Amino acid sequence: MNVFEIGGSGADIKDYYDIVIVGGGPAGLTAAIYARRAGLSALVIEKAIEGGAVTQTHVVENWPGEISIEGQALAQKFADHARHFGAEIHYAFAQKAYVEGDYKVVELDDGRKVKGRVLIIATGTEPRKLGVPGEAEFRGRGVTYCAACDGYLFKDKDVVVVGGGDSACDESHFLAKIVKSITMVQNLPYLTAAKVLQERVLNNPKIRVITNHVVKEIRGTNKVDEVVIVNNDTNEEQVIKAEGVFIYVGLAPKTEIFRGFVQMNEYGYILTDENMETNVPGVYAVGDIRVKNLRQIVTAAADGAIAVEHAAKKYF
Amino acid sequence: MGLLAEKDRRYLQDLFSKELQNEVKLLFFYDENCEYCDLESQLLDEVKELSNKIIVEKYHKNSEKGAEYKVEYAPALILTLNDGKDRGVRFYGIPSGHEFGTLIQDIVTFGKGAKPQLSDDTIKKLQSLDRPVKISVFVTPTCPYCPRAALTAHNMALASDMVSAEVIEANEFYDLSEEFGVSSVPHIAINRNPDRYFIGAYPEPQFLQQVLELSK
Ligand SMILES: Cc1cc2nc3c(=O)[nH]c(=O)nc-3n(C[C@H](O)[C@H](O)[C@H](O)COP(=O)(O)OP(=O)(O)OC[C@H]3O[C@@H](n4cnc5c(N)ncnc54)[C@H](O)[C@@H]3O)c2cc1C
Repeated sequence: MNVFEIGGSGADIKDYYDIVIVGGGPAGLTAAIYARRAGLSALVIEKAIEGGAVTQTHVVENWPGEISIEGQALAQKFADHARHFGAEIHYAFAQKAYVEGDYKVVELDDGRKVKGRVLIIATGTEPRKLGVPGEAEFRGRGVTYCAACDGYLFKDKDVVVVGGGDSACDESHFLAKIVKSITMVQNLPYLTAAKVLQERVLNNPKIRVITNHVVKEIRGTNKVDEVVIVNNDTNEEQVIKAEGVFIYVGLAPKTEIFRGFVQMNEYGYILTDENMETNVPGVYAVGDIRVKNLRQIVTAAADGAIAVEHAAKKYF
Repeated sequence: MGLLAEKDRRYLQDLFSKELQNEVKLLFFYDENCEYCDLESQLLDEVKELSNKIIVEKYHKNSEKGAEYKVEYAPALILTLNDGKDRGVRFYGIPSGHEFGTLIQDIVTFGKGAKPQLSDDTIKKLQSLDRPVKISVFVTPTCPYCPRAALTAHNMALASDMVSAEVIEANEFYDLSEEFGVSSVPHIAINRNPDRYFIGAYPEPQFLQQVLELSK
């Protein structure tokens, strides 16, 4: 990442846009690029940072055209690209969305309201909680979900990484440069990450991988001291001393504010047709928040393109 | 070679020429045992070059000015208008990485008269505060969620004379972070009480609610 990131600009927004997009990750930003190129006005509402989850990724190695690129750099490219074609990005939390006649209205936490002919939901996912005792209690006292944010606060300390997928392996690889030691705890008998990522972890002398164990409890006094894990087969318990616990056990959709507005499945992922349109005409859902098989940057971007292409023909 | 990329420099020049209506004063405080003071000093020189509306003044932390503004640590950066009034908006630690974006937004806000960028409802509630509230936002340069929390806090300071907001770089002030038990950022402590804190970037109404609750 750049030593100095300039961030989003603070220009004022208008009351109406042809396409209002909630969420500025790869799905939302791609939708914005396609909207502008179709001659439609587009606003992206983003609560945290343009580029979404990509900014949290250490390196991306499966976005075509970039053999290996820092997540932050790729995220910035997406945002620059959208701005280049005239998309506006406004920083606020979307709090509520509803239909008003031919328009969709989105209410923001800064008191503003914006109207669109078409609304695209692209709010992505957030880290799933482990759901064990101590996790909530020690949140911010050793338990974290973001290695990029908090890694350096654990300099030269012993930490546990929970999970064995792409994110867990990638982030462990990154953390190993900072912390003293990493114990990875994975519930399945094997890691599930892509082979290259697994190898990086298995070949790193600072990382110890324990498979077939689940985390039972996170313990401490004022802050995390140890993690209790249990062997799936023998039920044997083991205590690992650690000051930090990084949790990478999958994702949960960020769709609460749209509950009752568009149809979702039992896990809160939004249902769409093949054009990305939801059950509410003129409301689309794209990227990770959608029911789909593969949640990646390329598929998020593809969703954004498909939605706008369809909306442009149907509603303008 | 400068610290800012040429492309960013051009972007910021353009942004400031459009957005800054009045002068913005940046008061920078340094001392000798400070790892990032020189770097921040250089950064501010570059920022100053981006607009003639930006004024940078540099003082030793232990100078009269430092005492006047009650500067505790270095590097410190305090934003003011031309009148020099402390509106409670400051950074401890160099605003680098994502936090540079926070500084840019702050400069734009001050350049438009330092009016809080918050909803009317939030402003009204803050103005009816009858007790001083200090918001300390611990951040790291690599935290994508931190600028929102930092900006919300800074704007709250602008909304009321009772509120002040400091953005603290957690890696740089490691001991202070330890004292406050910071392990996940943004970590927002209220009235410098390590036991009164919340974690994460909240929407404005919820952020306000936490601040009001924890300052009781
Ligand atoms: C650690 C990690 C590593 C990964 N590595 C890779 C990889 O190597 N390759 C790959 O292809 N994929 C990778 N992924 C997955 C990839 O990041 C996601 O598939 C992709 O970012 C999804 O894009 P999206 O636009 O749907 O959602 P997101 O990127 O999650 O963006 C959603 C955005 O919406 C915003 N938002 C949410 N709610 C609101 C609201 N109410 N108001 C305003 N804004 C809101 C969020 O702040 C966020 O910026 C990784 C993910 C993680 C977490």
